[in-house]
Amino acid sequence: MMAAALGPPEVIAQLENAAKVLMAPPSMVNTEQRQHAEHIFLSFRKSKSPFAVCKHILETSKVDYVLFQAATAIMEAVVREWILLEKGIIESLRTFLLNYVLQRPHLQKYVREQILLAVAVIVKRGSLDKSIDCKSIFHEVSQLISSGNPTVQTLACSILTALLSEFSSSSKTSNIGLSMEFHGNCKRVFQEEDLRQIFLLTVQVLQEFSQREHLSAQMSSVFQRYLALANHVLSWNFLPPNLGRHYIAMFESSQNVLLKPTESWREALLNSKVMELFFTVHRKIREDSDMAQDSLQCLAQLASLHGPVFPDEGAQVDYLSHFIEGLLGTINGIEIEDSEAVGISSIISNLITVFPRNVLTAIPRELFSSFVNCLTHLTCSFGRSAALEEVLDKDDMVYMEAYDRLLESWLTLVQDDKHFHKGFFTQHAVQVFNSYIQCHLAAPDGTRNLTANGVASREEEEISELQEDDRDQFSDQLASVGMLGRIAAEHCIPLLTSLLEERVTRLHGQLQRQQQQLLASPASGSADSKTLDDLYEDIHWLILVTGYLLADDTQGETPLIPPEIMEYSIKHSSEVDINTTLQILGSPGEKASSIPGYNRTDSVIRLLSAVLRVSEVESRAIRAHLTHLLSPQMGKDIVWFLKRWAKTYLLVDEKLYDQISVPFSTAFGADTEGSQWIVGYLLEKVLNNLSVCSSEQGLADDTVQLLVTLVERRERANLVIQCENWWNLAKQFASRSPPLNFLSSPVQRTLMKALVLGGFAHMDTETKQQYWTEVLQPLQQRFLRVINQENFPQTCQQEEVKQEITATLEALCGIAEATQVDNVAILFNFLMDFLTNCIGLMEVYKNTPETVNLIIEVFVEVAHKQICYLGESKAMNLYEACLTLLQVYSKNNLGRQRIDVTAEEEQYQDLLLIMELLTNLLSKEFIDFSDTDEVFRGQEPGPAASRSVSAADVVLYGVNLILPLMSQDLLKAREERNVNVETMRA
Amino acid sequence: MCGLGWAPCTEDPGGGGGPGGAVREGRPAVGRWGPGFAAPQAVPSEEFPQPTMADEIDFTTGDAGASSTYPMQCSALRKNGFVVLKGRPCKIVEMSTSKTGKHGHAKVHLVGIDIFTGKKYEDICPSTHNMDVPNIKRNDYQLICIQDGYLSLLTETGEVREDLKLPEGELGKEIEGKYNAGEDVQVSVMCAMSEEYAVAIKPCK
Repeated sequence: MMAAALGPPEVIAQLENAAKVLMAPPSMVNTEQRQHAEHIFLSFRKSKSPFAVCKHILETSKVDYVLFQAATAIMEAVVREWILLEKGIIESLRTFLLNYVLQRPHLQKYVREQILLAVAVIVKRGSLDKSIDCKSIFHEVSQLISSGNPTVQTLACSILTALLSEFSSSSKTSNIGLSMEFHGNCKRVFQEEDLRQIFLLTVQVLQEFSQREHLSAQMSSVFQRYLALANHVLSWNFLPPNLGRHYIAMFESSQNVLLKPTESWREALLNSKVMELFFTVHRKIREDSDMAQDSLQCLAQLASLHGPVFPDEGAQVDYLSHFIEGLLGTINGIEIEDSEAVGISSIISNLITVFPRNVLTAIPRELFSSFVNCLTHLTCSFGRSAALEEVLDKDDMVYMEAYDRLLESWLTLVQDDKHFHKGFFTQHAVQVFNSYIQCHLAAPDGTRNLTANGVASREEEEISELQEDDRDQFSDQLASVGMLGRIAAEHCIPLLTSLLEERVTRLHGQLQRQQQQLLASPASGSADSKTLDDLYEDIHWLILVTGYLLADDTQGETPLIPPEIMEYSIKHSSEVDINTTLQILGSPGEKASSIPGYNRTDSVIRLLSAVLRVSEVESRAIRAHLTHLLSPQMGKDIVWFLKRWAKTYLLVDEKLYDQISVPFSTAFGADTEGSQWIVGYLLEKVLNNLSVCSSEQGLADDTVQLLVTLVERRERANLVIQCENWWNLAKQFASRSPPLNFLSSPVQRTLMKALVLGGFAHMDTETKQQYWTEVLQPLQQRFLRVINQENFPQTCQQEEVKQEITATLEALCGIAEATQVDNVAILFNFLMDFLTNCIGLMEVYKNTPETVNLIIEVFVEVAHKQICYLGESKAMNLYEACLTLLQVYSKNNLGRQRIDVTAEEEQYQDLLLIMELLTNLLSKEFIDFSDTDEVFRGQEPGPAASRSVSAADVVLYGVNLILPLMSQDLLKAREERNVNVETMRA
Repeated sequence: MCGLGWAPCTEDPGGGGGPGGAVREGRPAVGRWGPGFAAPQAVPSEEFPQPTMADEIDFTTGDAGASSTYPMQCSALRKNGFVVLKGRPCKIVEMSTSKTGKHGHAKVHLVGIDIFTGKKYEDICPSTHNMDVPNIKRNDYQLICIQDGYLSLLTETGEVREDLKLPEGELGKEIEGKYNAGEDVQVSVMCAMSEEYAVAIKPCK
């Protein structure tokens, strides 16, 4: 339109003016002018057949931005008018654009890239109807490359890069108005033929460059570009045939792309010269960290080669042998640069992950063992460098990343015992394990916090709660090291035992000395916190490694004793004296070495007992009022370990194992004195911790988790409830007296959960009666006493009344959390009584948002934990209760306006909770374990009334109730909206 | 009866609690685990003996003698709960813990917002420390009239209170607007540490 109305010179003038406006600083032009200028460009790009004008602009205009827009206009118009255009015109346009760029080496980069993008788009659009001959462009490019002129070669590289990125993905390319399937098909055609062409051209350039003795700066920059291009090609995400639309998107979003080309690439990639070239290139440029990144990445991609490109296993073995030879030749005997660590570790990790074990073992034996030696050496050395990085507190932890990868590779490697004979990796495992331990222990045994020149550095830094605990932050490393420790159990278990035992003795001595000092001069502060802190840190790491070595962390499944550990214990059980072993286990207060015959004990049990000794020293220090000297972190480690251990070893179920170690079954088996003793010991530990550590949230958390572990399985719970301490705990908690009522609310909830779970242990009716009288009844009684008081509406705001109510509501949440399939019937009925009363409370506390929120939270928890088990009539009861709650809430809050000082999102916490409640109710629609009130059988008064209500109905009704409460402000709160959408969607 | 000079919260302005306040009873010995961290407790003040007015005036809420604050171990505080920071009743909007060194003991960082003025206060203390928590009370009153910038409110027991200011800002305008439009509204009043303000309104049922 515009182009038709105005002659080319006018159009150019208009566009150049508009460009001036757009490029002007904000102070010079107003918004209106800017919008007008934008509009001019937009309509220009939409104009019909702008090719002549655009050519004219490109040839005459001096304004870069206008040139850029002209290129864009051509690109868009070609795609738009494709079917109407004659092939000749398209062909000439493409040639024009290419020549244009060639003739103007000094174009602005963004203009050049845009023009090349237009070329690439034309090629792509043409590739499917075969109208454009792609070959010709490669012919032209290869001529450019052979020109020997660096500028031209750079341009050739840009053309190839533009083509590559245009074809590489189906979703991230220029919008040319075609379907995803079209993009997918283009990509498949491209990767068969043209991509390989590009690869060969690139290899040719690299070949040539790598043979030159000296590279000028300009040449070297060209070299770098082609290397990057090679990396681009080798990281190509080869699209398999027949992949559906949804999978294409998923496939292309995968981060870690392995090289899996089609068969047609066989010649190009299996040629050993190609692989050698990349090794040569790397050797040549390895000191340039930028280029080394690309060359290593190319090698890593080549290390991940798999798929139909290999004709048979033999080819794979050949390729792998060649590759490993090249790799060892490159890295052996050199000092690895910092920038190489990650790259080298990815190469190795790719080799180990991608090549099947039978191929790995088929390469020459010598070669394989040098490879494993090299891996061992690198792992240990990266580990040490990673520790140094930590000391220096570097931002970029390259060695840590490399170390992680290598440890992960070990995990893949050693988990296969079919292809490697037993003990094949033992010596290597010992080395890696030792170096890990060494890096984490203080001098003289280890090198922790030592800088390269052996100077100890240590800073007391502020650590916020957001920082992850080491056991989570380094869980992958610890899992690998634990696995290696199992492989080399003969070495590692005694090592850990002796390191731990020695440190326990030192810790005991150190605490004693500090106590003496305190007694002598109470005013003096703790003098030597360094020694203690070093001991704590040593013990911290030793316990973590021991925990990962002895047991796995499983969720949902029953964790088994690792077979290596079981075998190790069985193997030595004939040399072991069971009684001494039990004595070592049962006397954590004594030094292990003070027990006669201590060397003839089961090593695994002795390692456990070493941790118990640490725990005992801690407990004694607490009793001696030295809590302020203790490390809460070590306290956490101890209960974390005990929990992990108890889950796996305590009351081993012999049915799950082919063979069981006699020491294990004697010490922790069912119906043994050992297990009874240890349950008592653990319970005492829990009680100790909870009564002195209410101020250490993390420790209290881990401690109640241990308690839950003790009671969540019926067999263990049966032992627990025989302990007097358990009953003491229950009574103490029910009385809401200190110190237990100081615990934070999540800890109290979990404690309540544990107490309820314990109640389902096996006991005679009378005991059971007594137990519930101690645990649940006080809750009910206290609650009813408060709310049934005549003047409750008047006293409800009194602090002690509020606290009583809050504590009850918290406890209800805990009870709901304890729900399991076999106790849901009892717990549901118990909680339902409360829910009804809670609705009354909503009325009383309508002005106290924190209490209202807590009441809603109780409903949220009950719905969350129980709805899936409830049959029709019980679910109906719960729906009714929830809707009544909503009605009361809605009545009290309709039209309410509040000023609240807190941030917006928190202000609406009540509504958020309600949305969560509705979401939980809705989950009934897709997760439903109920079997027409199976678990309630015998309690039903009769068949449920004929009304059948679905959760969705209830939720819709609920949403209806609270919708009027949602103000516009509220909908602005993003968090809310997400929950909202989630609910609405279902 | 119009209770002129009637103090809805019986505490003296000095913040001293009533002697032997019911809330204190059965509380633990303060600072039991950290002798160095004993909490500054509100001590019953000799200078401000509890007035004996309790017998003379008809209290609607039975809070005579209740102290305006009570102590709580720092670690037991929770976000969205209340605490006294720098002598002001605050709502806890942020609560985080940290420690010095990996093996150090927990410290609690508290950020609170004054429930009346909206001003922000912060504090750091060892988690074994006891902090004061304000007693918060809320009441709903029916609005009768607005006079000289003060609200006239009808209590549940039929008394009229005229000692509460019309709040400033949005809420104040809202109340005034509704009142002028002849709508029946209820005003929610919050009371803590002998201060009392209107904080919300809603239409009467």
